[in-house]
Amino acid sequence: MRMDFIEGGPALVVKNTMDVLVIADLHLGIESDLERHGIHFRSRSAGRQEQVISCIEGADPDLLVLLGDVKHNVPMTSRQEFRELPGIFSSFRRLVEMRVFPGNHDTGIDRFLSPEELMPAEGAVIDGTGYLHGHTCPSPSLSGHLICAGHHHPHIALQDEVGCSLRAPAYLLADLSAECFGASPPAGRTRVLFLPAMNEFSGYDIRRILRDPFSPLSRCVVKETAEVILSDGTYIGLPDTLEDT
Amino acid sequence: MSAGSMLHERVRDTIKKRGFSALSAVQAESIPIVLRGDHLLLIAPTGTGKTESAMLPVFHGMISEPPAGFRALYITPLRSLNRDMLQRLEWWCKELGLRVGVRHGDTPAAERRKQALSPPDLLITTPETVQALFMGKVLRKHLANVRYVIVDEIHELAGSKRGSQLAIALERLTEHAGEFQRIGLSATVGNPGEVGKFLCGERRFSLVSVPVAKQLRIAVEYVGENFERQAGFVADAIDRHGSTLIFVNTRVTAEALGHILFRRGDVEVHHGSLSKEVRIDAEERFKKGEIKALICTSSMELGIDIGHVGHVIQFGSPREVARLVQRVGRAGHQLHTVSRGTILALGFDDLLESLVITRKALAGEIEGVRTHIDAADVLANQIAAMAVEYGEIQTEKIRRILARSAVFSGDPHLVDEVSRQMEQHRLIRLDGERVVTTSRARRYLASNLSMIHDERKVPVFDMVSRRTVATLDESFVVGWVQTGAVFITKGQLWRVLDMEDGRITVEPAKRAKGELPSWEGEQIPVPYDVAREVGALRRTRDFGAYSKRAEIRNFAAGFLEGIDRNRQRVPTDGLITLEDAGEGVVMHVCAGHRANEALARSLSTLVSARFGSTVGIEVDAYRVFFTLPRDVKAADVRDHLLSLDPEHIGGILRLALRRTVLYKWKLVQIAKKFGAIDPDADYERLSIHRLTDLFDGTVIQKEAYRELFGSYMDVAAAAEVVRMIRDKEVDVVIAPLSVLGAEGLFSSRDQIQPPGTDQAVIATLKRRLDQQEIVLGCMNCRSWKSRTQVARVPERPQCPNCGARLIAVIKPYEEEQFALANRKRKTEEERSIESRLLRNANIVLSSGKKAVIALSAKGVGPEIASRILGSLTGGDDFYREILKAERNFIRTHRFW
Repeated sequence: MRMDFIEGGPALVVKNTMDVLVIADLHLGIESDLERHGIHFRSRSAGRQEQVISCIEGADPDLLVLLGDVKHNVPMTSRQEFRELPGIFSSFRRLVEMRVFPGNHDTGIDRFLSPEELMPAEGAVIDGTGYLHGHTCPSPSLSGHLICAGHHHPHIALQDEVGCSLRAPAYLLADLSAECFGASPPAGRTRVLFLPAMNEFSGYDIRRILRDPFSPLSRCVVKETAEVILSDGTYIGLPDTLEDT
Repeated sequence: MSAGSMLHERVRDTIKKRGFSALSAVQAESIPIVLRGDHLLLIAPTGTGKTESAMLPVFHGMISEPPAGFRALYITPLRSLNRDMLQRLEWWCKELGLRVGVRHGDTPAAERRKQALSPPDLLITTPETVQALFMGKVLRKHLANVRYVIVDEIHELAGSKRGSQLAIALERLTEHAGEFQRIGLSATVGNPGEVGKFLCGERRFSLVSVPVAKQLRIAVEYVGENFERQAGFVADAIDRHGSTLIFVNTRVTAEALGHILFRRGDVEVHHGSLSKEVRIDAEERFKKGEIKALICTSSMELGIDIGHVGHVIQFGSPREVARLVQRVGRAGHQLHTVSRGTILALGFDDLLESLVITRKALAGEIEGVRTHIDAADVLANQIAAMAVEYGEIQTEKIRRILARSAVFSGDPHLVDEVSRQMEQHRLIRLDGERVVTTSRARRYLASNLSMIHDERKVPVFDMVSRRTVATLDESFVVGWVQTGAVFITKGQLWRVLDMEDGRITVEPAKRAKGELPSWEGEQIPVPYDVAREVGALRRTRDFGAYSKRAEIRNFAAGFLEGIDRNRQRVPTDGLITLEDAGEGVVMHVCAGHRANEALARSLSTLVSARFGSTVGIEVDAYRVFFTLPRDVKAADVRDHLLSLDPEHIGGILRLALRRTVLYKWKLVQIAKKFGAIDPDADYERLSIHRLTDLFDGTVIQKEAYRELFGSYMDVAAAAEVVRMIRDKEVDVVIAPLSVLGAEGLFSSRDQIQPPGTDQAVIATLKRRLDQQEIVLGCMNCRSWKSRTQVARVPERPQCPNCGARLIAVIKPYEEEQFALANRKRKTEEERSIESRLLRNANIVLSSGKKAVIALSAKGVGPEIASRILGSLTGGDDFYREILKAERNFIRTHRFW
C-alpha cells in the first residue's frame, strides 16, 4: 500500500490494488447554518465542488470515497442542500465511481444516492483499508486494518522560536486499543488515520482532540502512539513536539 | 447696522432678559452670515458663545416661519453633550415659544412616540440617531421640514468614520428637505478648509475663526518618574489653583491617580468606563464647587458645561498640539480671559515632547483633521440604509447622493464593488441597476446604526484557580487566540486550553518565547512633525529656547550628557542608532508613531523573510524594539534599513499586514459593516483564521488596508525617513545600549511572521529529532551499547570501551538488531543486518553528529542518510532534505 497526499484538498489517495481518493467532511450547505450563528456568506458549494473535481482530475482514481458529513444541516435537509446536492453528486459520478460513508450530518442523504453508493455508517473495508465517518463505534470487520476516518477535522498550530507561525489542517494517525471493538477479539494491530476536513470553515486543534476525545473512536486512541502529518505529507511526529514545554 | 439689531424683536428681548449686555465678537461676526443664509464654519475655543452664535439667528429664522416638523437639527457627538445642550437651549426655546426635544439612544420609547406624533421644532440628537430618523415612515415625513442643521464639535467627527457616515446622511436628508443651511461649530484645527468641505461638500461656505493661541499660557514642569511624587505635584497644583481639570491619557492612569488623591476628599474621577450617573454626579459637584478637581480623559475635552475651571493640568505629554490647545482651552471659561495650563512631564521623552508641543501650540501650529474618503464600510452601511429607506433604489441615485458629499471621491466602480460584496453576504439584492432591500437589511441596520465598533468582551477563565481572571477584546481573541497560544494579561502568562461557550479557558503558563502580543487598544499617536522636532532638540540641546526654567534645562542637558559620558550615542533627527539589547534590537528613529509603525513593520517583514523566523515588534514615537532570534543582531537590522527602497514600503506592508493581529482585527470590524458577521456572531462555530482568508481580494480587504495606511501608519513619512538615509541627511550607526533604549513604554505590539511556513515546520522537526530516543552501539568492540537522546550525543561520538568512533545509530524499537548482528553464527538475514549497521556506523564515523541526526529521522536508513549527507547541505537545507526523505517514506508501504 502507498499513500499520496494531495495538499490542495486536503485529500488522500490510498493505493493498493486500486487507487482510492478519500475526501472527508465537505459540509456542503454549512453557509445556511453559519447564517443562524451570525455569519453570512452566500453558498460556497460551487468552490468546494471544483476542489473535489480538481482532486479527481489530478489523481485519476478508480474510486472516490466520501468519508461522511458530505452535507451539513441536521436533522433537516436545507433548501440549499436540496438545490445543490443532486448536481454536485452527478458531477462526481460522471468522472468516477463513488462511495459515501454517512456521517452525523448526513441524515436524509440516501435520497441523493444510489443503494450501492451508500455504505454502512459503522464502516466497511475496501481494498484492504477500513473506512468510516467516525462518529459511531466501528464495525468489528475493520479490526486489524488501517482505518480512515473523518468527523474530527484535525488542525495544528506550529511554533517557532518567537511564536506561533503556522496553523494548518493535518492528519492524525494513532493505534486503536482493542476495546474499541467491544467483545469481538482484536485481529492484530489496528490504526486509525483521521483526515482533515475539506472545508475552509472548520478545524479542531489536535491536542484538544487527544485531551477531550469526543467520539467512540477518539476515546480508543492510544495517545502515546499519536503521530501528526501535514496535509502535504510532511511528517511532524508526536503532538508533544508541537510546543516546547 | 449692528448684528443684534438684525435679529427678530422677540429674540432681542430674550437676549436682554438673559442678561447679555452685548454680543461677543464671535457672535457679532457670525450672526449676519447665518441670517444671510450662508453655510458657516465657526472655529472658536469653548466658552466664547459659539452655541448662541449659531442658535440666535436660527431662532430668528424659526420664529419668522410657520411651525412644521423638525425645523432644526442640532447634532453633537455625545449624549452627555445633548443633555447639556438641552438644558442650555430649553430656556431660550421656552421664552421664544419654540419646542425643543432631545433624541438619542437613551431616549425612552414613550418620548420617541410623542416626537413622531408631534415633532419638536428643534431636535437635539447624535449622528447615530440621525440614521434612525430615516428608518420610520412618519419621521421621514417630518424630516422634509428641516431648514437648519447645526453640527457641534465637528472637528471631533470630521476625522472619523462616524463623521463620514453623517456627511452622507446630510446628503440623504437633502433628498427629503431640499437644500438646508449648514452650520459647523469647531475647536481650533489646522485645516479649516477641509472641515468646511466635510460639512458642506462642494457648496460655498463662510468661515469665522477666532485665533486661540494668544489666549493660552502653558507651563511645562518636570516631575520625575515616581508615581507617588507625580501625584504629589498634582495635589500641590490643586491647592494652588483651586478648580482644576486634570487630563490624563488613559483610563488606567485616571484610576491610579484617583486612588491616591481620593483621600483629599475634593477630587473625583471622570471617564468613559464609569456609569452615566457617576459621571453626571461628578460634573454637578464640580460645577457647584463641592469638589475642587476632576481627573478626566478626552471625554472632558468637548464642551460639556462644568462651570468655572481655573486651571488645567495635563498629566504627561498631550501627544498632539490640537489636544493640548483644546484641553487647556477649558480653563478660564469666560470671554476674553486667558486659559492657563501646566503640563507635568513624566520622563525625558515626555519632557522634550511637551516642550515641543507647547511651542507649537503657542505658535498656532495645529494638526489638521484627516477625513476618511471612500471608506468602503461607511459606503456599505449607507447603501444598506438607503435600501431600507427606499425599499428599492436605482444605483444611479445612490451614486448621486454619495457624490454630493466630500467623503466620497465619486469612483463609480467602488459603489458597484461594495454593493456586490454586500450581496455576497446577503445583505441586499442587486436587480440590474437597482439595489433592493432584504428582510435582513432592516435588522442589520438596527444593530449597525453606528460606525463605532462596540467590542464584545470575552471572559478568560483560569482552569487552575477556577475563576475568571480577565476579559479580552473580541478582536484580540478573533485575531490571535487559539488552543495552545500563550498571551499576557494582567501581567501574567496564560496558555489557551479551549474556546467554548463564549469564554476562553486558560492555565497559567510558565514561560513563552519572545514577546507576545498584548493588545492595548488604540492610543494617541505622536505626529511626525512633533517627533522630528524632538529629534532636533536632542541634537541642538537648545533647551533655553523652549523653557525659561533652569531646572528643566539642567535636567534635560544633564540627561544627554550622561549618555555622552557613557560613550553612547544620542539619536536625533539626523542620527538613527541601533542597539543590541537582550532579546532583540532597539532602533531609535525620531519619526512619531505612525512612521515608526510603517518602518518597523517593513523591516520586520524583511528580517523575518531573510531569517525565516517570527519577529516581534513594539513601537513608540522615538524607537522600535524588535524581538529577534538569538543570532540576528543590530547589524542585520541596519543592513535591511540601508537597503530599503522608499518605493517598496507600501508593497511590503501590504504583504506583511495580512498576517498580523491588527489586520485581522480591522477585517472583522469592517466585515461586520458589510453584514458578513453579526455583532453577536458565534465564532466557535468556525475557525476564524480561515474566515479572514475568505476576504482576500475583496473590497473588505481593500478597506482594511486603506484604514490601516491612513490611521495606523504613515507610509509617506516612513518613505521620507528612508530617503533621508539614502541622501545621507540622516546617519545610521550601531551603538551600545543607552538609557534611551532601556527606557520607554511601548504602545503597540504585534508579530510579523515569515512568509513561508517552512520555518515553523523545521523548528518542529529539530525539536522532535532532539528529543528522539536512540541506541548507540559500538561496531568495533561490539560490547558497548547505550540508550540516549539525540540532543545529548556529542559532535564526535566515541566508544567509552575501545575508543573507536565506529558507532551505529539504532532506533529503540530495533534495539535487538545490535545483538543479532553480533551473534557468532549468523543467518543470512542477520548477516544483512550486520552489514547495514556497519554501513550506518561508517556514516557516523565520517559525518559525526550530523549523521546521528539524519539516522534518527523517520524511515531514514544508511542509504538515504548518506545521500542526505552527500548533498553537502548545511543549516536549514540539511533539515529540509530530512523532511523530504520523511515525506517519501510515509507514502510507502513500510510506514503504513
